[in-house]
Amino acid sequence: MTWLVWRQHRAQFYVGAALLAALAVLLLITGLQMASQYHSAIAACTANRSCTDQGGLFLGNRAVGFLVIMTLGTPVLAGLFWGAPLVAAELETGTSQFAWMQSVTRRRWLAVKTGWMLLAAAVWGGVISALVTWWSGPNNALHLDAFNNGRFDIMGLVPVAYALFAMALGIAAGTLLRRTLPAMAVTLAGFVAVRAVIALWLRPHYMSAVTVTYNLLRGYTPAGSYWQLGQGVLDPNGHLVPVPNGPAAFGVAMGYLPASCAPLNGGATKVAPSCAQALGRFHGVITYQPAGRYWAFQGIETGIFVLLAAILITVAAVVLLRRDA
Amino acid sequence: MTAVIQTRGLSKRYRRVRALSDCTITVPEGRISALIGPNGAGKTTLLRLLSGLAKPTAGEMAVLGGTPRQDPVFLAEIGYLAQEMPLYRRFTADDHIGIGAHLNRRWDAGYAQDRLRSLNIPLDRAAGSLSGGQRAQVALALTLAKKPGLLLLDEPVAALDPLARRHFLATLAEAVADGGLTVVLSSHLLADLERVADHLILLAASRVQLCGDIETLLAEHHVLVGPRKDTTAIEKARTVVQAVRTARQTTLLVRGNAPVIDPDWESDEVGLEEMVLAYMGQDAAPAPAQLTTVGEDQ
Repeated sequence: MTWLVWRQHRAQFYVGAALLAALAVLLLITGLQMASQYHSAIAACTANRSCTDQGGLFLGNRAVGFLVIMTLGTPVLAGLFWGAPLVAAELETGTSQFAWMQSVTRRRWLAVKTGWMLLAAAVWGGVISALVTWWSGPNNALHLDAFNNGRFDIMGLVPVAYALFAMALGIAAGTLLRRTLPAMAVTLAGFVAVRAVIALWLRPHYMSAVTVTYNLLRGYTPAGSYWQLGQGVLDPNGHLVPVPNGPAAFGVAMGYLPASCAPLNGGATKVAPSCAQALGRFHGVITYQPAGRYWAFQGIETGIFVLLAAILITVAAVVLLRRDA
Repeated sequence: MTAVIQTRGLSKRYRRVRALSDCTITVPEGRISALIGPNGAGKTTLLRLLSGLAKPTAGEMAVLGGTPRQDPVFLAEIGYLAQEMPLYRRFTADDHIGIGAHLNRRWDAGYAQDRLRSLNIPLDRAAGSLSGGQRAQVALALTLAKKPGLLLLDEPVAALDPLARRHFLATLAEAVADGGLTVVLSSHLLADLERVADHLILLAASRVQLCGDIETLLAEHHVLVGPRKDTTAIEKARTVVQAVRTARQTTLLVRGNAPVIDPDWESDEVGLEEMVLAYMGQDAAPAPAQLTTVGEDQ
């Protein structure tokens, strides 16, 4: 069976390997440049003790940066072009009837094909993620945004799980629908929908978020690459103040504050005592996931998608083995 | 003689459609059985059930001593070729022979290569670029290379030219003569099968009308020709399969060997084609069937 799988899919394998190689070359070259640029900037700012704000330092080539963000979409390619046709194309052309009438059970036929395809998907997701994670190292250090939506999704473990899920979704859709094109459409739509629902509504709740209330004048920034879920200002009664839509100081609309605060809106840095007293009755509040939970979140999200992939493969297997060929 | 295929009450229903109803057949070892019937009679369904590709909704069957199942040992003994002759379009005949070698413990690659070479079919061209007849020959060679104990062929000669048909059927007959092989092949071209088949399964309207050795079946059927008169006496003694009445004469195809005493009736032997066509004309009624009246004068 393995021989047949290789014989059937080696062209796809070569295409995939070529794409990975091209991406690797591009990211290695620009990544090495960025790393040295970063290190010399750090060396320079350490020399004149100005290392407080490096956020303005722009690293890397805009096009390559765009390409890296685009790797958000790479996992689903595995499901679209390898997963969806895996069973569907054989059912469509009838070649499954050829394969199933050799001395190989349908169970083994599916197990071997699916096994190799899942492995290919994991390698595909893993190589891209490894390259992107390494390439993004300096940027992560600079912007501390590795935990944010869109960045979290292209680094670490999760791209491997996404690719496995996309592959399993493609295989299951192809098995159920028996036609390649509809299976591809369902794979694309299903992948985007599940990813969006989980990233936007489920991920923030993997662990209960930390909420910190702080003195507005002192301000508060959580350590490291934390993931900010919300921020606002509480009035003296503990109610959220509407986001200012006009003149404001420290995020509090001028209407709540005495006139002595007005200069702050104009850009003054000195806070008049009466203004400080008024501001002191307000509090800043920030809700976030601390940086230390990054790998726990990666692990939970990976677990969810691997579980979904396992369910999809099981469904595909049950349907394929029960249904008339 | 042991039966390679034995079914009892086998039925298959696809949603509302009955594809096969109450099918009870026996095919002894070493036979070439012609599976005949009009389009949609259930021939493909029966072959797919026997091969294990489809599961029956009712009834039981024993194929090569067991229920068709997903098991390498059983699969190795079954050679099934679907009507569509599925092949991987981008793979050559040689590629397919290689696949067979990897997926079967028993595989005669040399046989398939020799057979295709002798038919002048290129082994190194993608199946998708071969003609329909060539593809059929490749698919047939692959099915034979598996060296199964039971060959189930669905319309195997439909894509072949008359000469290739004759060659292929001769090949089958040789293979069966070598022993250890039983063949069921479907077709609605009786003339093709008459030459090689010694067993007959006749399906019409999803039911088995006839099943048995051709010689025995022919010996059981007679054509009775007589004047136009009442046939009740004959219907009591024998099963009338078909009755054709004209103004002066009645022709009956009857089954059974009870003697006909009435001297008005002349008994004659029946040809295979005549017998088959008489049964094929019948509708959904189970065999033995109702009387049909054809061409009656106004």
